Amino acid sequence: MRSVSFVTLFFLFVFPQICLSLIEREVDMYKNIRCLVCQGQSLNDSNSDFAKDLKQVIKKKILEKKTNKEIYEYLTDRYGDWILFNPPLKKSTILLWAIPGIFFLLGAILLIKKTQLTTLNRDN
Amino acid sequence: MKKNFKIIFLVLAAILFFVTFYYALKINNKNNPKVMLNKVLPTIELVSLEDKTTKIFLPMENKDKYFLLNIWSSWCVPCRDEHQILSKLKDKIKIYGINYKDDPSNAVSFLNELGNPFYFIGTDRNGSISIEIGAYGIPETYLVNSQGIIIFKHVGPINNRVYSEINKIIK
Repeated sequence: MRSVSFVTLFFLFVFPQICLSLIEREVDMYKNIRCLVCQGQSLNDSNSDFAKDLKQVIKKKILEKKTNKEIYEYLTDRYGDWILFNPPLKKSTILLWAIPGIFFLLGAILLIKKTQLTTLNRDN
Repeated sequence: MKKNFKIIFLVLAAILFFVTFYYALKINNKNNPKVMLNKVLPTIELVSLEDKTTKIFLPMENKDKYFLLNIWSSWCVPCRDEHQILSKLKDKIKIYGINYKDDPSNAVSFLNELGNPFYFIGTDRNGSISIEIGAYGIPETYLVNSQGIIIFKHVGPINNRVYSEINKIIK
């Protein structure tokens, strides 16, 4: 782990812009990952041993050029979907993701219909 | 006509709501520490606690029908509690130990004091091996078969009930 920190520091010194975006990416990921041994905290908020270990593993995977999707898959394979605050789009979660859109569309249709009716009534 | 449309719309919306919430309530969306159950144990490289030049790869290098994998540490109080039961199991099954974030000298003293039930002990200095196999903390125990599939997992110290469950499986 010391070597990972050393590599991060080295790159931070040589390529600050790239490193800052890597750190931002890392923090964004931590915010979407649940600390499983804490009460409702994200990895980003937690200082537990589990959170610290997981952060190091994620940092290493980012340096190995793994994509966010690959890292999330790695985690859900081992800890289930519960580890993510944003549930992934799957058969079992499709309604969860689709319902806001469906209701937005229905609302828009109703609003348009109502506006048309009001305009027609006013014209008559 | 307009009234019929409104009624149909309301009924459809109510059905959609009912179906959604009915299935949402049925789905177990709670934390499930046994996600790794019935999955193949990810390949882990264990470097020996006693001799850093000795390494083994699990589950590939195991030739037995079953083996136990136990995560422990000398600073973990519940590990002390389960040690007796591990000692009872050592003649029945090979137990591989993962010594989690421990000082090697403390680990050796712990084993000298309580006995060594492990066939092989590997070290996990930074917790990454434990995360690789989906562990939350210590102690944790996995029963793995010859195909490398985790057929039983227990989070927390092994008690008499868990001991008999393991015995029943490996009989």
